[in-house]
Amino acid sequence: MITQPHHVPERLALLSGSAADPFLTEGLLMGEQVHSGIDLAKVVEPLPEDDARWSVEPIRSLVDDVMFAFEKERTGADAWLAPRLHATLRLTRQEAADKRLWNHLALAVAPDYVVWRHFSERTGRVAAERFQGPSDRQCFSRLWWAAEIFRNGLDYGPVEVACGNQDLIHTVLRLGLLDHRPTAQAVVRLLKDGTITTGREVNGLSVAINAAGATLIYDVLAPDEPRDPARLRDWIEEAQTAPPVSRHVLPEGPDEDPVPEDSVAALTDYFTELFETAPVRGRKSED
Amino acid sequence: MKIYPYKRLSRPITLRVTSVALKLSDGTRDPLDTSAYSVQEQAVALGVAGHTDWVSATLGVSATLPPGADASDAAWSDLCVLAVLTDGKTNVRTSTVLTRDPEGSRDWSGTLELIRDDHVGRANLSAYAVGTVDGVGGRSITETDRSWVVDTVSDEPVRGLRLDVRKASFTKSSREWLRAYADAPWLVDTTARVPTVYVNTDIDGIVGLLDSNGSGVESKVRDLLVAQMATDVWTAVFHGAIGDLEVEPGGGPVFPADWQGEVLREMLPDVVPGVHVEEALRQVHRRRTGDSGWGELQTRIHYAAVRRAEAAKAVGYMIRSLERTNRESET
Repeated sequence: MITQPHHVPERLALLSGSAADPFLTEGLLMGEQVHSGIDLAKVVEPLPEDDARWSVEPIRSLVDDVMFAFEKERTGADAWLAPRLHATLRLTRQEAADKRLWNHLALAVAPDYVVWRHFSERTGRVAAERFQGPSDRQCFSRLWWAAEIFRNGLDYGPVEVACGNQDLIHTVLRLGLLDHRPTAQAVVRLLKDGTITTGREVNGLSVAINAAGATLIYDVLAPDEPRDPARLRDWIEEAQTAPPVSRHVLPEGPDEDPVPEDSVAALTDYFTELFETAPVRGRKSED
Repeated sequence: MKIYPYKRLSRPITLRVTSVALKLSDGTRDPLDTSAYSVQEQAVALGVAGHTDWVSATLGVSATLPPGADASDAAWSDLCVLAVLTDGKTNVRTSTVLTRDPEGSRDWSGTLELIRDDHVGRANLSAYAVGTVDGVGGRSITETDRSWVVDTVSDEPVRGLRLDVRKASFTKSSREWLRAYADAPWLVDTTARVPTVYVNTDIDGIVGLLDSNGSGVESKVRDLLVAQMATDVWTAVFHGAIGDLEVEPGGGPVFPADWQGEVLREMLPDVVPGVHVEEALRQVHRRRTGDSGWGELQTRIHYAAVRRAEAAKAVGYMIRSLERTNRESET
């Protein structure tokens, strides 16, 4: 397995898809050889110098720590890293939608982590989409978006629960249904209280929610409150002085209002009912 | 065609944007004039006023329900109308409840707040009429059949695919990756937020030619060149869009958001004629990921690109212009 590049940049930058492509070599995808970092540094577009958020060191040290802590159990790394990455790299959704940032993080800053987390013994390689791919596939952006979608205001607790289920962040995240905040919180609640546990159950539930959602407007059943953009801006501003995130306790996200409890409760009940009648592959019928 | 297990209205909601105002970072508001939105195109362009410091936009919306929504024997109760803004790139969903204008009117109106930090390019705005049917709340009774496009960057309210054209010296560009392509007159990059064409200024005279607005043969050559570039672009964006398709758990491809979706909706009727675009997408996806048929499809993709680029027109005018020049030099 590869180690980090000889030259790791000090600051995050933007790496366009076309510029990144030549660095996605067979050697890298097979986890055998990493670029030195020098040539890659030449093709990036820099980010503003005076913004502390683009400092690489806090992210690089998170990645080193997670590889050390989860050496025996790689998939467990997601639940630990997602909230901490989100709280370290404080982004707006607009910024997070820029794939160039994630390309740079994966290829220039931590290609060793991408290989460590996503190397498949079966195929003997890492899928290229883990370096440069859709936002729900790319190694780091999928974690950031999972944290963004499942956090309840400043509380990252639901993110830990959600990321503990690979099927939830692998298949369900891409369905637009979780963009409705109360829906995302209700799904986490079903996981947390043990109503659903296995990946198959998660998929069965999501299919049922999706099918019902074709005729139901969840915004009416479970209204959400509008968000205040100033709260997020303040949190991002605090990045200039914020200490590194704790390795032991969950950090706090932007101080936004949580999802209205009535809405989460209403949807949790509704989904529980849906799930009881949903077809789940492999589940025995009651008789 | 979706099947609904309950009674609905058969006609769609008509949705209009009636006003747009930006909230600036100093707390002031700038109401934009009507050039910011187009009912014809069903598009809003928040970039028209040229502000770089806006925080949020307030859209005034008005929805007209089809007849029958208020019928005394309607199958639903608790009627309400919602405007919903979604953005596939940023996973944002914002909804607002509209209020009925005067008592008994079929028009419902309200405002919807769009936060700039939450969007990257284009968001979709649609409306739903919702009611309780057979004891089930939250049922959609009818909705808009074509959503509005809210572009947070553009300064012109148009729906169609927008390209970014940039001129760069490939050998000296700060985009160092362009240097590997120094001998190409232009390149298409489909990995950017919007498809971008880079024109290589190192090719002597290319910029002068493209910028020329003269008449005669020169302008026809320019049009031909533009048609050639456009053909390349349409071919590249089609492959770009089809190559990044997401697949549902059930196995079917999902129509992508943003420009990829627009490209596919535009080109698929020429690539797989005679079927609904959703079915066309499934067929193309199957041929790309399956064992056969991908090669055969290339001619159709090329045809769709050539049509979009209006290449036949450019070639036709070019030939006529040459004929005229030859005739004039003979006499």
